[in-house]
Amino acid sequence: MIVNVESEEEDGRMLDALARMWERKDAPPVDLAERMIAAVAVDDLSREYALLTEVSADRAAVRTEQERLTLQFSDETTSVLLHVSATENGLRRVDGWSEPAVLAARLSQDAREWAAELNEQGRFAFTDVAPGLSSVRLIVRLDGELREFITPQFEV
Amino acid sequence: MTGVEEDPLPRLPELPEPGAVPVTSPRVTDQVPEAPGDDAGDRRARWQEAARLFLRWRDQGDARALDELVRLLSPVLWHVVRAYGLRRETAEDVVQATWLTFVRKHDTIVDPLAVSAWLTMTARREAWRTAKIDGRADPTEDEALERRMPTSATAEDQAMGELEAQRLWDAVGGLDERCRRLLRIVAFDDRPDYRRIANDLHMPIGSIGPTRQRCLGKLRARLDGPEGMRRG
Repeated sequence: MIVNVESEEEDGRMLDALARMWERKDAPPVDLAERMIAAVAVDDLSREYALLTEVSADRAAVRTEQERLTLQFSDETTSVLLHVSATENGLRRVDGWSEPAVLAARLSQDAREWAAELNEQGRFAFTDVAPGLSSVRLIVRLDGELREFITPQFEV
Repeated sequence: MTGVEEDPLPRLPELPEPGAVPVTSPRVTDQVPEAPGDDAGDRRARWQEAARLFLRWRDQGDARALDELVRLLSPVLWHVVRAYGLRRETAEDVVQATWLTFVRKHDTIVDPLAVSAWLTMTARREAWRTAKIDGRADPTEDEALERRMPTSATAEDQAMGELEAQRLWDAVGGLDERCRRLLRIVAFDDRPDYRRIANDLHMPIGSIGPTRQRCLGKLRARLDGPEGMRRG
Protein backbone atom coordinates (compact mmCIF):
# COMPACT_ATOMS: atom_id res chain seq x y z
CA MET A 1 0.00 0.00 0.00
CA ILE A 2 1.45 3.30 -1.08
CA VAL A 3 0.76 6.27 1.12
CA ASN A 4 1.93 9.43 -0.50
CA VAL A 5 1.01 13.02 -0.94
CA GLU A 6 -1.10 12.29 -4.00
CA SER A 7 -3.30 9.78 -2.23
CA GLU A 8 -3.59 12.20 0.67
CA GLU A 9 -4.85 14.83 -1.72
CA GLU A 10 -7.17 12.34 -3.36
CA ASP A 11 -8.59 11.45 0.04
CA GLY A 12 -8.99 15.12 0.76
CA ARG A 13 -10.95 15.63 -2.44
CA MET A 14 -13.18 12.68 -1.65
CA LEU A 15 -13.86 14.00 1.85
CA ASP A 16 -14.66 17.41 0.41
CA ALA A 17 -17.14 15.80 -1.98
CA LEU A 18 -18.67 13.94 0.95
CA ALA A 19 -18.99 17.17 2.91
CA ARG A 20 -20.85 18.78 0.01
CA MET A 21 -23.07 15.73 -0.24
CA TRP A 22 -24.07 15.93 3.45
CA GLU A 23 -24.54 19.68 3.24
CA ARG A 24 -27.04 18.99 0.51
CA LYS A 25 -28.70 15.85 1.86
CA ASP A 26 -28.89 16.66 5.56
CA ALA A 27 -28.52 20.40 5.88
CA PRO A 28 -29.04 21.97 9.30
CA PRO A 29 -32.35 23.79 9.89
CA VAL A 30 -32.19 27.17 8.18
CA ASP A 31 -32.60 29.05 11.45
CA LEU A 32 -30.26 26.84 13.49
CA ALA A 33 -27.52 29.47 13.72
CA GLU A 34 -29.93 32.15 14.86
CA ARG A 35 -31.39 29.95 17.60
CA MET A 36 -27.90 29.02 18.76
CA ILE A 37 -26.85 32.67 18.82
CA ALA A 38 -29.88 33.52 20.96
CA ALA A 39 -29.23 30.60 23.33
CA VAL A 40 -25.65 31.73 23.82
CA ALA A 41 -26.54 35.40 24.11
CA VAL A 42 -29.08 34.84 26.88
CA ASP A 43 -26.41 32.96 28.82
CA ASP A 44 -23.97 35.84 28.61
CA LEU A 45 -24.34 38.26 31.51
CA SER A 46 -21.69 40.58 30.20
CA ARG A 47 -24.03 41.80 27.47
CA GLU A 48 -25.83 45.05 27.63
CA TYR A 49 -29.44 44.20 28.19
CA ALA A 50 -31.94 46.92 27.50
CA LEU A 51 -34.14 47.39 30.54
CA LEU A 52 -37.85 46.99 29.94
CA THR A 53 -40.23 49.17 31.90
CA GLU A 54 -42.95 47.66 34.00
CA VAL A 55 -46.40 48.75 32.98
CA SER A 56 -48.45 46.36 35.14
CA ALA A 57 -51.53 47.76 36.80
CA ASP A 58 -51.16 46.08 40.16
CA ARG A 59 -48.80 43.58 41.64
CA ALA A 60 -48.87 41.51 44.77
CA ALA A 61 -46.86 38.37 45.28
CA VAL A 62 -48.62 35.09 44.59
CA ARG A 63 -49.17 33.04 47.74
CA THR A 64 -51.82 30.47 46.95
CA GLU A 65 -52.80 28.31 44.05
CA GLN A 66 -55.83 30.45 43.39
CA GLU A 67 -53.85 33.63 42.94
CA ARG A 68 -52.38 34.61 39.66
CA LEU A 69 -50.14 37.57 39.12
CA THR A 70 -49.91 39.28 35.78
CA LEU A 71 -46.96 41.47 34.97
CA GLN A 72 -46.42 43.49 31.87
CA PHE A 73 -43.19 45.02 30.62
CA SER A 74 -42.39 47.00 27.51
CA ASP A 75 -40.36 49.53 25.64
CA GLU A 76 -41.21 51.14 22.29
CA THR A 77 -40.42 48.00 20.36
CA THR A 78 -41.06 45.02 22.58
CA SER A 79 -43.66 43.94 25.07
CA VAL A 80 -43.66 41.05 27.47
CA LEU A 81 -46.47 39.59 29.51
CA LEU A 82 -45.83 37.26 32.44
CA HIS A 83 -48.39 35.22 34.39
CA VAL A 84 -47.13 33.88 37.70
CA SER A 85 -49.04 31.07 39.38
CA ALA A 86 -48.35 28.90 42.40
CA THR A 87 -48.19 25.13 41.98
CA GLU A 88 -49.19 22.36 44.39
CA ASN A 89 -45.63 21.75 45.48
CA GLY A 90 -45.20 25.31 46.67
CA LEU A 91 -43.26 26.36 43.60
CA ARG A 92 -44.18 28.80 40.87
CA ARG A 93 -44.93 28.56 37.22
CA VAL A 94 -44.32 31.56 35.00
CA ASP A 95 -46.04 31.63 31.63
CA GLY A 96 -44.89 34.31 29.27
CA TRP A 97 -45.70 35.83 25.94
CA SER A 98 -43.74 38.36 23.99
CA GLU A 99 -43.97 40.43 20.86
CA PRO A 100 -41.72 39.99 18.92
CA ALA A 101 -41.44 36.30 19.74
CA VAL A 102 -38.60 35.29 22.06
CA LEU A 103 -35.77 33.19 20.70
CA ALA A 104 -34.40 32.43 24.17
CA ALA A 105 -35.25 33.46 27.74
CA ARG A 106 -33.95 32.91 31.26
CA LEU A 107 -35.47 33.63 34.62
CA SER A 108 -32.80 34.44 37.13
CA GLN A 109 -32.66 34.76 40.89
CA ASP A 110 -29.67 35.35 43.09
CA ALA A 111 -28.14 31.94 42.82
CA ARG A 112 -30.18 30.12 40.21
CA GLU A 113 -31.47 30.36 36.70
CA TRP A 114 -34.27 28.66 34.81
CA ALA A 115 -34.26 28.25 31.05
CA ALA A 116 -37.53 28.88 29.27
CA GLU A 117 -39.36 26.20 27.39
CA LEU A 118 -40.30 27.85 24.14
CA ASN A 119 -43.65 27.29 22.52
CA GLU A 120 -44.98 28.60 19.30
CA GLN A 121 -46.04 32.17 18.66
CA GLY A 122 -43.92 33.89 21.24
CA ARG A 123 -45.14 31.83 24.19
CA PHE A 124 -42.71 30.48 26.74
CA ALA A 125 -42.79 29.03 30.24
CA PHE A 126 -40.59 28.61 33.29
CA THR A 127 -41.60 25.68 35.48
CA ASP A 128 -40.77 24.75 39.09
CA VAL A 129 -39.44 28.16 39.92
CA ALA A 130 -38.66 28.80 43.58
CA PRO A 131 -40.49 31.76 45.13
CA GLY A 132 -38.26 34.80 45.27
CA LEU A 133 -37.06 37.97 43.67
CA SER A 134 -36.59 37.33 39.98
CA SER A 135 -35.94 38.95 36.65
CA VAL A 136 -36.23 37.66 33.10
CA ARG A 137 -33.67 38.12 30.34
CA LEU A 138 -34.80 37.52 26.81
CA ILE A 139 -33.62 37.67 23.25
CA VAL A 140 -35.91 38.73 20.43
CA ARG A 141 -35.41 39.42 16.75
CA LEU A 142 -36.07 43.02 15.80
CA ASP A 143 -35.71 44.22 12.22
CA GLY A 144 -33.53 41.23 11.42
CA GLU A 145 -31.23 41.75 14.40
CA LEU A 146 -31.15 40.03 17.75
CA ARG A 147 -31.77 42.28 20.74
CA GLU A 148 -31.28 41.57 24.41
CA PHE A 149 -33.78 42.73 27.03
CA ILE A 150 -34.13 42.35 30.77
CA THR A 151 -37.09 43.01 33.03
CA PRO A 152 -36.86 44.81 36.35
CA GLN A 153 -36.94 42.51 39.35
CA PHE A 154 -40.27 41.19 40.55
CA GLU A 155 -41.43 38.75 43.20
CA VAL A 156 -42.69 35.35 42.09
CA MET B 1 -13.86 -5.26 16.54
CA THR B 2 -16.21 -2.41 17.24
CA GLY B 3 -16.47 -1.78 20.96
CA VAL B 4 -20.03 -1.42 22.11
CA GLU B 5 -19.41 0.49 25.28
CA GLU B 6 -17.17 3.16 23.93
CA ASP B 7 -17.20 5.53 21.06
CA PRO B 8 -16.34 3.25 18.16
CA LEU B 9 -14.70 6.10 16.34
CA PRO B 10 -10.97 5.96 16.23
CA ARG B 11 -9.74 8.81 18.29
CA LEU B 12 -8.72 11.97 16.63
CA PRO B 13 -5.54 13.43 18.02
CA GLU B 14 -6.25 13.76 21.67
CA LEU B 15 -7.11 17.16 22.87
CA PRO B 16 -7.31 17.70 26.59
CA GLU B 17 -10.70 17.39 28.21
CA PRO B 18 -12.52 20.67 28.14
CA GLY B 19 -11.60 22.22 31.44
CA ALA B 20 -8.33 20.33 31.76
CA VAL B 21 -4.88 21.23 30.48
CA PRO B 22 -4.83 24.30 28.28
CA VAL B 23 -4.70 23.55 24.58
CA THR B 24 -1.82 24.82 22.56
CA SER B 25 -1.37 24.84 18.84
CA PRO B 26 0.80 26.55 16.25
CA ARG B 27 0.93 30.30 16.18
CA VAL B 28 -1.14 32.17 13.67
CA THR B 29 1.99 33.21 11.82
CA ASP B 30 2.94 29.56 11.28
CA GLN B 31 -0.29 28.80 9.50
CA VAL B 32 0.50 29.17 5.85
CA PRO B 33 0.24 25.66 4.42
CA GLU B 34 -0.51 25.60 0.72
CA ALA B 35 -4.10 24.87 -0.16
CA PRO B 36 -4.60 21.73 -2.24
CA GLY B 37 -8.17 22.72 -3.09
CA ASP B 38 -10.86 25.25 -2.49
CA ASP B 39 -12.66 23.27 0.19
CA ALA B 40 -9.52 22.69 2.20
CA GLY B 41 -8.76 26.37 1.79
CA ASP B 42 -12.25 27.22 3.00
CA ARG B 43 -11.78 25.01 5.99
CA ARG B 44 -8.52 26.66 6.89
CA ALA B 45 -10.08 30.07 6.45
CA ARG B 46 -12.86 28.90 8.73
CA TRP B 47 -10.73 27.97 11.69
CA GLN B 48 -8.59 31.04 11.33
CA GLU B 49 -11.71 33.16 11.24
CA ALA B 50 -12.93 31.29 14.32
CA ALA B 51 -9.70 32.15 16.11
CA ARG B 52 -10.04 35.81 15.16
CA LEU B 53 -13.63 36.03 16.36
CA PHE B 54 -12.76 34.24 19.60
CA LEU B 55 -10.04 36.80 20.33
CA ARG B 56 -12.35 39.72 19.63
CA TRP B 57 -14.87 38.30 22.03
CA ARG B 58 -12.45 37.23 24.75
CA ASP B 59 -10.07 40.17 24.72
CA GLN B 60 -12.27 43.02 23.62
CA GLY B 61 -15.55 41.84 25.08
CA ASP B 62 -17.21 42.10 21.69
CA ALA B 63 -20.44 40.11 22.06
CA ARG B 64 -21.18 40.38 18.33
CA ALA B 65 -17.96 38.50 17.61
CA LEU B 66 -19.30 35.63 19.70
CA ASP B 67 -22.53 35.76 17.69
CA GLU B 68 -20.51 35.51 14.49
CA LEU B 69 -18.48 32.62 15.86
CA VAL B 70 -21.70 30.76 16.65
CA ARG B 71 -23.00 31.51 13.17
CA LEU B 72 -19.76 30.31 11.56
CA LEU B 73 -19.41 26.99 13.35
CA SER B 74 -22.95 25.85 14.17
CA PRO B 75 -23.38 24.15 10.76
CA VAL B 76 -20.11 22.25 11.26
CA LEU B 77 -21.17 21.13 14.73
CA TRP B 78 -24.49 20.04 13.28
CA HIS B 79 -22.83 17.63 10.87
CA VAL B 80 -20.46 16.31 13.51
CA VAL B 81 -23.34 15.65 15.89
CA ARG B 82 -25.61 14.15 13.23
CA ALA B 83 -22.85 11.67 12.47
CA TYR B 84 -23.86 10.01 15.74
CA GLY B 85 -27.30 9.16 14.41
CA LEU B 86 -29.16 11.57 16.68
CA ARG B 87 -32.55 12.83 15.61
CA ARG B 88 -32.59 16.35 14.27
CA GLU B 89 -34.19 17.87 17.37
CA THR B 90 -31.80 16.08 19.67
CA ALA B 91 -28.89 17.09 17.47
CA GLU B 92 -29.91 20.71 17.88
CA ASP B 93 -29.99 20.29 21.67
CA VAL B 94 -26.49 18.86 21.58
CA VAL B 95 -25.18 21.71 19.46
CA GLN B 96 -26.71 24.15 21.93
CA ALA B 97 -25.20 22.33 24.92
CA THR B 98 -21.83 22.49 23.18
CA TRP B 99 -22.05 26.26 22.85
CA LEU B 100 -23.12 26.75 26.45
CA THR B 101 -20.20 24.62 27.61
CA PHE B 102 -17.94 26.72 25.44
CA VAL B 103 -19.15 29.98 26.98
CA ARG B 104 -18.56 28.63 30.48
CA LYS B 105 -15.21 26.99 29.86
CA HIS B 106 -13.65 29.09 27.15
CA ASP B 107 -10.97 30.38 29.50
CA THR B 108 -9.36 26.94 29.38
CA ILE B 109 -8.61 27.47 25.69
CA VAL B 110 -5.27 29.21 25.72
CA ASP B 111 -4.58 29.19 22.01
CA PRO B 112 -7.37 30.68 19.91
CA LEU B 113 -6.41 28.48 16.96
CA ALA B 114 -7.63 25.51 18.95
CA VAL B 115 -11.18 26.87 19.21
CA SER B 116 -12.65 24.89 16.31
CA ALA B 117 -11.02 21.68 17.46
CA TRP B 118 -12.18 22.24 21.04
CA LEU B 119 -15.75 22.76 19.88
CA THR B 120 -15.92 19.72 17.61
CA MET B 121 -14.35 17.56 20.29
CA THR B 122 -16.84 18.78 22.88
CA ALA B 123 -19.72 18.24 20.45
CA ARG B 124 -18.55 14.69 19.76
CA ARG B 125 -18.37 13.84 23.46
CA GLU B 126 -21.82 15.26 24.09
CA ALA B 127 -23.29 13.56 21.02
CA TRP B 128 -21.81 10.22 22.04
CA ARG B 129 -23.12 10.55 25.58
CA THR B 130 -26.56 11.57 24.35
CA ALA B 131 -26.75 8.75 21.82
CA LYS B 132 -26.03 6.28 24.62
CA ILE B 133 -28.63 7.73 26.99
CA ASP B 134 -31.41 8.26 24.46
CA GLY B 135 -30.95 5.08 22.57
CA ARG B 136 -30.05 5.39 18.96
CA ALA B 137 -32.21 7.11 16.45
CA ASP B 138 -34.22 4.95 14.17
CA PRO B 139 -31.60 3.76 11.69
CA THR B 140 -33.97 4.35 8.82
CA GLU B 141 -34.48 7.97 9.77
CA ASP B 142 -31.85 9.24 7.39
CA GLU B 143 -33.32 7.45 4.42
CA ALA B 144 -36.81 8.61 5.32
CA LEU B 145 -35.55 12.15 5.58
CA GLU B 146 -33.85 11.90 2.27
CA ARG B 147 -36.96 10.64 0.52
CA ARG B 148 -38.97 13.54 1.88
CA MET B 149 -36.63 16.09 0.47
CA PRO B 150 -37.77 17.51 -2.84
CA THR B 151 -35.30 17.33 -5.67
CA SER B 152 -34.96 20.81 -7.02
CA ALA B 153 -33.09 21.71 -10.14
CA THR B 154 -31.43 24.98 -9.23
CA ALA B 155 -28.18 26.41 -10.48
CA GLU B 156 -26.55 25.20 -7.32
CA ASP B 157 -27.64 21.67 -8.14
CA GLN B 158 -25.72 21.92 -11.36
CA ALA B 159 -22.60 23.01 -9.54
CA MET B 160 -22.34 19.73 -7.78
CA GLY B 161 -24.89 17.60 -9.51
CA GLU B 162 -27.73 15.90 -7.74
CA LEU B 163 -26.75 12.66 -9.38
CA GLU B 164 -23.29 12.83 -7.91
CA ALA B 165 -24.67 13.58 -4.46
CA GLN B 166 -27.13 10.73 -4.76
CA ARG B 167 -24.39 8.36 -5.87
CA LEU B 168 -22.26 9.30 -2.86
CA TRP B 169 -25.26 9.15 -0.55
CA ASP B 170 -26.10 5.64 -1.71
CA ALA B 171 -22.52 4.48 -1.46
CA VAL B 172 -22.10 5.88 2.04
CA GLY B 173 -25.41 4.34 3.05
CA GLY B 174 -23.99 0.92 2.26
CA LEU B 175 -21.04 1.32 4.60
CA ASP B 176 -21.04 0.12 8.17
CA GLU B 177 -22.02 2.58 10.87
CA ARG B 178 -18.48 3.07 12.07
CA CYS B 179 -17.27 4.15 8.64
CA ARG B 180 -20.29 6.36 8.01
CA ARG B 181 -19.68 8.17 11.28
CA LEU B 182 -15.95 8.49 10.81
CA LEU B 183 -16.22 9.84 7.29
CA ARG B 184 -18.85 12.40 8.21
CA ILE B 185 -16.80 13.69 11.12
CA VAL B 186 -13.52 13.93 9.25
CA ALA B 187 -15.29 15.46 6.26
CA PHE B 188 -16.35 18.39 8.42
CA ASP B 189 -13.49 18.55 10.83
CA ASP B 190 -10.75 21.01 10.28
CA ARG B 191 -8.27 18.38 9.25
CA PRO B 192 -5.17 20.46 8.70
CA ASP B 193 -5.70 21.97 12.11
CA TYR B 194 -5.84 18.61 13.84
CA ARG B 195 -2.67 17.46 12.17
CA ARG B 196 -0.80 20.58 13.17
CA ILE B 197 -1.99 20.40 16.72
CA ALA B 198 -1.12 16.72 16.95
CA ASN B 199 2.35 17.45 15.66
CA ASP B 200 2.88 20.29 17.98
CA LEU B 201 1.80 18.35 21.01
CA HIS B 202 3.87 15.34 19.94
CA MET B 203 0.73 13.25 20.04
CA PRO B 204 0.03 10.33 17.76
CA ILE B 205 -2.65 10.81 15.19
CA GLY B 206 -3.72 7.40 16.38
CA SER B 207 -5.64 4.99 14.27
CA ILE B 208 -7.48 7.64 12.39
CA GLY B 209 -5.26 7.44 9.32
CA PRO B 210 -5.54 3.69 8.66
CA THR B 211 -9.24 3.57 9.54
CA ARG B 212 -10.00 6.53 7.36
CA GLN B 213 -8.10 4.82 4.54
CA ARG B 214 -10.03 1.62 5.06
CA CYS B 215 -13.40 3.41 5.02
CA LEU B 216 -12.50 5.46 1.97
CA GLY B 217 -11.37 2.25 0.28
CA LYS B 218 -14.72 0.62 0.94
CA LEU B 219 -16.48 3.70 -0.32
CA ARG B 220 -14.46 3.73 -3.54
CA ALA B 221 -15.19 0.07 -4.08
CA ARG B 222 -18.91 0.82 -3.86
CA LEU B 223 -18.60 3.79 -6.17
CA ASP B 224 -16.72 1.69 -8.71
CA GLY B 225 -19.79 -0.44 -9.29
CA PRO B 226 -20.95 -3.97 -8.59
CA GLU B 227 -17.78 -5.69 -9.69
CA GLY B 228 -15.73 -3.40 -7.50
CA MET B 229 -18.01 -3.99 -4.53
CA ARG B 230 -16.62 -5.88 -1.62
CA ARG B 231 -18.27 -7.19 1.42
CA GLY B 232 -18.23 -5.21 4.67
